[in-house]
Amino acid sequence: MTPPLDFTTFMHNYQDMVYSTAVRLIGNETQAEDISQEVFIKAHEHFENLRSSPSAGGWLKTVATNLSINHIQRYKKRWSFFSDLVHRDNEGGEKEVEFAAPDTFFSAVDSSERREWLERALEKLPEHQRVPLVLYHFEDLPYEDIARKTRVSLSKVKTDILRGREALAKILVRSGSTHEQFEN
Amino acid sequence: MTPMTPEELEKFIHRELRGLPVRRAPRSLESRVRAALEHQAMIPWYHKSWSYWPAAIRATFLALATGISGAFVTGFYLMFNGVDTSALAAQAGARLSFVTRLYHAVAWVVDLGANQISAIPALWLYGGAALIAALYATFFGLSAAAYRTLYRNN
Repeated sequence: MTPPLDFTTFMHNYQDMVYSTAVRLIGNETQAEDISQEVFIKAHEHFENLRSSPSAGGWLKTVATNLSINHIQRYKKRWSFFSDLVHRDNEGGEKEVEFAAPDTFFSAVDSSERREWLERALEKLPEHQRVPLVLYHFEDLPYEDIARKTRVSLSKVKTDILRGREALAKILVRSGSTHEQFEN
Repeated sequence: MTPMTPEELEKFIHRELRGLPVRRAPRSLESRVRAALEHQAMIPWYHKSWSYWPAAIRATFLALATGISGAFVTGFYLMFNGVDTSALAAQAGARLSFVTRLYHAVAWVVDLGANQISAIPALWLYGGAALIAALYATFFGLSAAAYRTLYRNN
């Protein structure tokens, strides 16, 4: 990729990626815009190094992820405590999940609707499930790194991600069952 | 209904989530960032944190801070080791004699000015002050009239 000439071009190239990272972690569009703004202000401070760096995208993604997690932890520290209470008895046990086979989920739904459902379903997840789930599936972080970043135990991260997947699937099934096309 | 194992669920969710396109950033983001950067640029350096200070100022500040700290430490060390402070003060006074010379030079200029003014007759002084006041009032009046006629009526 040719290096961007100015900061506006740089922003155009990366703003969707930064915003996507923030909004999927935070689950709130207004707050995600605030975080994105903060990311680009930081990027402006380091612009001389970033403008020609091939790792600028990775840098921005890391900053967006860290700022989003900081934001969540700053304002909602209680979630890990309550999440611990809820899931303590569920830790460790892996069992089969009673959902339809994958192919039957969206067989009759077009792709744009399906994406819309998924995005909404992701937003509906509680933070203690959404954050590790997004870090695992979108950012490709291993469980250990997620545990370190979110400052929770490794076993809880695994449980939260599993429960997050289940909850996501449940929301999707529920959304689908009320949908006209899905009933066919 | 075929039940899914956790592994199947993981693969399924992963595939679905990774298939999502990036979310479009709001149009307002760019203008917000630009406004924030402009606002930041308007803040003077001395109202910002250390990392924003100009390099020369930072170097000067560091040198001064180091010098003052060093002087204090040395002073305390000498005091506690029973060094003759009067000799030290005399030595420092000799080195800082340029301050005394500077003070005398400024005092001489002030005295000269005061002598010159006292030599001028009082009538001339009052007359000059009245002339300056009259000129100030005239220019003030002219400016007010020009503002009213040329600017305010447009």
